[in-house]
Amino acid sequence: MSSVVLIFLILYYAVVVGIGFWAVRKGGAKDMEGYLLGGRQVGPLVTALTLQSTSMSGYMFLGAGSAGYTTGYWAIWYAAGDIGGGVVNLSIIGRRMRKFSKIFGSLTSIEYLENRYPHAATRLIAGILSVFFLYFYVLAQFIAGGKGMALVTGLPYWVALTIAVAIIMIYTFLGGYFAVAYTDFFQSLVMVIGVVWILIATLNAVGGWAEANAQLAELDPTYLSIWGKDLQYQGQWGEVAGAVLIFSVGYMGWPHVVTRHLAMTNPQTARLAGMYSTLWNLLFVTSPYIVGIMAILILPNLGDPEMAIFSVAGKLLPGAVTGIVMAAIMAAIMSTADSILLQVGTIASRDIFYRFIKPDASDKHMVWVSRILILVMGAIGFVIALLQPPGVFDIVVFTTSVLGSAFLPSYVCAVWWKKANTPGAISSMVGGALTAFLWDSSGLAAATTTHPMLAGLVISFILMIVVSLATQKSSPVKENIIKAMDEAAKLGPIPKGMIASMDTNLTSESKGVSDSLNGNK
Amino acid sequence: MVGLPSATAWVVFGFPIFWLAYTIIFLFVSRGWKKEAGDKEVEE
Repeated sequence: MSSVVLIFLILYYAVVVGIGFWAVRKGGAKDMEGYLLGGRQVGPLVTALTLQSTSMSGYMFLGAGSAGYTTGYWAIWYAAGDIGGGVVNLSIIGRRMRKFSKIFGSLTSIEYLENRYPHAATRLIAGILSVFFLYFYVLAQFIAGGKGMALVTGLPYWVALTIAVAIIMIYTFLGGYFAVAYTDFFQSLVMVIGVVWILIATLNAVGGWAEANAQLAELDPTYLSIWGKDLQYQGQWGEVAGAVLIFSVGYMGWPHVVTRHLAMTNPQTARLAGMYSTLWNLLFVTSPYIVGIMAILILPNLGDPEMAIFSVAGKLLPGAVTGIVMAAIMAAIMSTADSILLQVGTIASRDIFYRFIKPDASDKHMVWVSRILILVMGAIGFVIALLQPPGVFDIVVFTTSVLGSAFLPSYVCAVWWKKANTPGAISSMVGGALTAFLWDSSGLAAATTTHPMLAGLVISFILMIVVSLATQKSSPVKENIIKAMDEAAKLGPIPKGMIASMDTNLTSESKGVSDSLNGNK
Repeated sequence: MVGLPSATAWVVFGFPIFWLAYTIIFLFVSRGWKKEAGDKEVEE
């Protein structure tokens, strides 16, 4: 292993862990609101960059590179939607979700769903779905970290995996959301520097973008087609729509991403965060796909396409720059893994253990339960990652499709449609998740040439609308929820009485937060 | 453009321009949100 690469990685890890310790000193983990939402004190720039770096995982360096390498310019459909993912999320649900969660005192994205669609089953189903599929996702990050670091540094896979998992665990364990948000901020900057650097080096190596495209056309003109190599997706608009939707609107269905809305300093934060998200995405999102496509020329006989970007970095860049790019790759992986670990720990502890098993636990007790669960789940994830499950691209696209299909209609309708009720939301979550989950394995994806994400979303929205309308009489939306939706739609401060009036209908933990807002604590 | 077929060029360059326009329009439409930028999120 190059000593320069090692120095850069050690420096990078030291800064990340240092930010974790700084977050603890700043008091981010004093109570549940501090631990889970950074005390709702996260500004627009950090909100935008933690949202983006959480959304962009190790997938961007393994999956995106592999998609470009194997399918050519078809892969750009995924980037086309992804560029707008942040601003779509923030503009459609960001401000209203922040305000609604303040009124109800929701501290997690799953608790928020129960407050909007009041029933224990909402929280139980949403909690189980989230824990199961997010855990898959975090596994993909562990694998990506282990594989990538092993390749670039020459360390054995298990050593590389141990280092990556240990660093993630330390700062997630210590500082909670505050540490995660600020390490994400730093890591997002490293990611942009790394990816732009490798893009420039790649384009230089192939003689420029136009020259590279001419060489690709000579090799196989279908590489340049928007229908994929050998025109394998020609006319399949269902696949195209799924590829664009998955990372444009799909993020609105990810519990660990929409949690960023709850933690914003104020509702207006969403506005500037949307702008920063787009600027960051314009710099970052398309580059890994382009590098993957160019790798066809640089490394024509690559054994594992997921190693395209790592291999290009190793071949083209000098040691010091490889260190920066390696740090960027680890940043993408770690910034997603930490957020998901925190989210999974939170959901398992607060939304399942606390809500259904021990409702009288104190805030301090809950922080520790969450931390212990993060440790246990990280350890189990480490062991499973050693066994090297399927490819990162497959896991990420699969879990994103299922989570997006399950939750997107529920989060969007929560603030935009007053008739969306509990039976509608539960049917939508279960039906959407099942459709996306079974679409591929049942053969329907091949038969209909429709992406699982598109199929899951359509079914999920239909169920939300049809079931909600059919059950309006038996399960009407409560008056206090409609008032809260009206208030979330308005601009300006929330009337004090509005928050107090909600308390009588809320769970005990929500009441605690409202009490503190009203100075009763 | 850069040696790409026109349909591919539209996707590669058209989507970023579309999202940039979306963001600018969003900033314009949401200019009233500044009312919620103060310290007092809950009325006294």
